[in-house]
Amino acid sequence: MLPGGGPAKTTGGMFGPGSPTFLTSKVDALINWGRLNSLWPMPFGTACCAIEMMASAASNYDLARFGMERMSFSPRQADVLICAGRVPYKLAPVLRRIWDQMPQPKWAISMGACASSGGVFDVYSMVQGIDTIIPVDVYIPGCPPRPEGLIYGLMMIQEKIRQESLSRHFEHRAEDPALVAMPRASAEEVVGLTGAFGNSTQQDQLSTGIVVTPDIPGDDLLS
Amino acid sequence: MADDTKSPLDAVEDGPVASGSAEGADTTSTGSADDHPTVAALLAKYPDEVQRFRLMAGDQYVVWMEPARSHEILSWLKNDPDQLYDMMSDVTAVDYGHGRPLEVVYQMYSTHHGRALRIRCPLPLDALEIDSVYDLWKSVNWLEREVYDLFGVTFRGHPDLRRILMPDDYEEGHPLRKDFPLRGRFSRAEQTRRALNQDVERYYLAEDLGHGVPQEVAAAQTATALPGGDDEAAGAAPEGGQG
Repeated sequence: MLPGGGPAKTTGGMFGPGSPTFLTSKVDALINWGRLNSLWPMPFGTACCAIEMMASAASNYDLARFGMERMSFSPRQADVLICAGRVPYKLAPVLRRIWDQMPQPKWAISMGACASSGGVFDVYSMVQGIDTIIPVDVYIPGCPPRPEGLIYGLMMIQEKIRQESLSRHFEHRAEDPALVAMPRASAEEVVGLTGAFGNSTQQDQLSTGIVVTPDIPGDDLLS
Repeated sequence: MADDTKSPLDAVEDGPVASGSAEGADTTSTGSADDHPTVAALLAKYPDEVQRFRLMAGDQYVVWMEPARSHEILSWLKNDPDQLYDMMSDVTAVDYGHGRPLEVVYQMYSTHHGRALRIRCPLPLDALEIDSVYDLWKSVNWLEREVYDLFGVTFRGHPDLRRILMPDDYEEGHPLRKDFPLRGRFSRAEQTRRALNQDVERYYLAEDLGHGVPQEVAAAQTATALPGGDDEAAGAAPEGGQG
């Protein structure tokens, strides 16, 4: 950040004699520039979206151009989680655990219809959108999205990082320890995901009349 | 299989229909016992157990059998020198709905004689039990677990009968049964809460994957040793001091 490297302030800088030999900027700009150009994705590929994710990383689309040089298969060295594909309930705690293992700051991309909303799998076994499990920054529509879609989503993450400020970092990123491994969405939100829609059998969301109102610790913090 | 419960699903059982035939399924060959030595042998040896048989999908003979002596018959099919069905390709089940019997399907193949055979055992919905054939074909271990998991059929004598696809503590029932609601029995919020409360380490411990039977399963089997017929299992366990 000290261009020119002039010997002394008094002898002149880059804008002529008497001008300063330094520039001022914000630490935010420097840190955000570093972060957004070295995003390491944690690939969580569970279905066909993962094939498109692989294509994005391959030479034809070359995700590395944008700083995603290395797919990090360890969540502890990753910055952005790309959930590509459908997530069954049996996998939900695994996804949550991997998200909890990623160090701050971290971002999440929900890639494709199934990860974003459950897609066509409005059935007993499927998570209806991973935003009930982890916080999601960018949703990428498509079934599956093309590699351009994933790259665009990652560039949206980059734009989001560019707007961030270190001074507001902790209020944005701090997580309540009580919420670790807990659902991100409230019980009403999760139930509401299927309430408005019928399906092929016109089934109510609680077809047997069993009404379950779980008492989730920390639920009120989310609303 | 009474005919008073005819439904469109029966067309599935009837197999493919030759195109252009006006009579539909009636013109399809239902097969002859003379064309398949095993079917003829079964009819001769177990006339009371064989309910019916027919040819499906060109060359696949299907035999419907009473489930009561299924283990004896399957054992004979495996060990008889003229049959030698040494490969159990698949064990699955079909729930036809409408309160009709659930059918357990055994798909087997004889590598010695180059013959395939499908055995179907109808089980009434209020008595979903059949003998395990794990002692005959080791390959049915996980297949029978899958049928138990998704259809609720209890296989008597199975060494490790617990859920295989759904979580161990899944309480909503058996998902592939026709009376199972498409979205499950609990609300989405409850399903999410239960999912996140799963003990992940319980399923994915490396030593469990390596050695087969998890410790907790072995302990549970010891603790709940059945009073009859399971004595040798309880006696073999070193610390099985339940009673």
